[in-house]
Amino acid sequence: MVPSDEDLCARIAERDAQAFDLIVERHQARAYRLACSILGNEADARDVSQEAFIRLYEAAHSFDRRARFSTWFYRILVNLCIDHQRRNRWWRKFVPLTGPDDDPDAPQIDPPSSDPGPLDEALRRQSVERLNGALGRLSPHQRTAILLQVQQGFTSKEIAAVLNCSDNTARVHLHRAIIQLRKVLKDE
Amino acid sequence: MWSSHPEIAFAPYLRGELDAEETRHLRAHLESCARCREGLTAAEAVMHELARRVERLPEPDWTAYQAQLRRKLNARRDAARVSRWRPEWAWASLATAAVATAAMVLMFTLGGGPRPPGVDQLEVEAGLADADIGLLRDYPVVEHLDLLENYDVIENLDQLTPPGPPHVESRPS
Repeated sequence: MVPSDEDLCARIAERDAQAFDLIVERHQARAYRLACSILGNEADARDVSQEAFIRLYEAAHSFDRRARFSTWFYRILVNLCIDHQRRNRWWRKFVPLTGPDDDPDAPQIDPPSSDPGPLDEALRRQSVERLNGALGRLSPHQRTAILLQVQQGFTSKEIAAVLNCSDNTARVHLHRAIIQLRKVLKDE
Repeated sequence: MWSSHPEIAFAPYLRGELDAEETRHLRAHLESCARCREGLTAAEAVMHELARRVERLPEPDWTAYQAQLRRKLNARRDAARVSRWRPEWAWASLATAAVATAAMVLMFTLGGGPRPPGVDQLEVEAGLADADIGLLRDYPVVEHLDLLENYDVIENLDQLTPPGPPHVESRPS
């Protein structure tokens, strides 16, 4: 029987290294993608998502099993992303975003298909840049709300729990994000 | 339910989150509102496009990612262990040493401490008393010390009768 995230979290609280590895494997891709979408930077996304897993390890004992693990964990991740953006906002204006090639610690990027050609790679990069550009125009809460829904499949209630706001406010964030993205995508 | 155009319900509606009453209400509104019908179609297109682009985001080498995470976690645990010791253990050690020193100072200043051997006045006095008692054991000699002052007696000691049964003095008739 496959253990639930909540069961794994309880085992992590007892310092079960195997449970920690398992939960990282389960959530690493989604956590990384969400961080990458919010932050718009692969190196930062790697660092922040790893930091979220470390916080999960440290705070596993405080997880209330009545809540959903994913809501709890992505709240940690989203808060870290928003804090990271706030801290780095001022120097990002002067220092250009670095790509994975500039970072010696960056793991190699896996291609999306088995054998991508240079054209595919260029189109993929362009698509990612446009997405980052469009998302960059949203407020942190709007961006997080729409990404949680599209990427993670979160409901409005779950988004509200992550953002620590009411269900109705989460719906307003979603609506405003859609309006903004609609304008940007129409201009492309 | 909704005062005007129910636009904030589009995303939850597309994901099937609305309850039966909300869904019925929204559908009734859409039938009569071209603007909201267009808005709903646009919202669906935006969400679909966003999902497509997000799926194309690059992914790191997960083995390297996990190895790096493990290194960071170990480093954090080591740092936490050291930082835990410093403020608590160091201060506790200092406090214990200070209390022990204060207790020793109090013991000596209040006279509760041990005395060095050989200077106990009571022992000296007891020894002297013992010596006096030894002298008193020879009390008869002491009692008759004044005899020694009578030189004649000393001069004629050889004429004294040796010790024997009690001597009964007889008066000359």
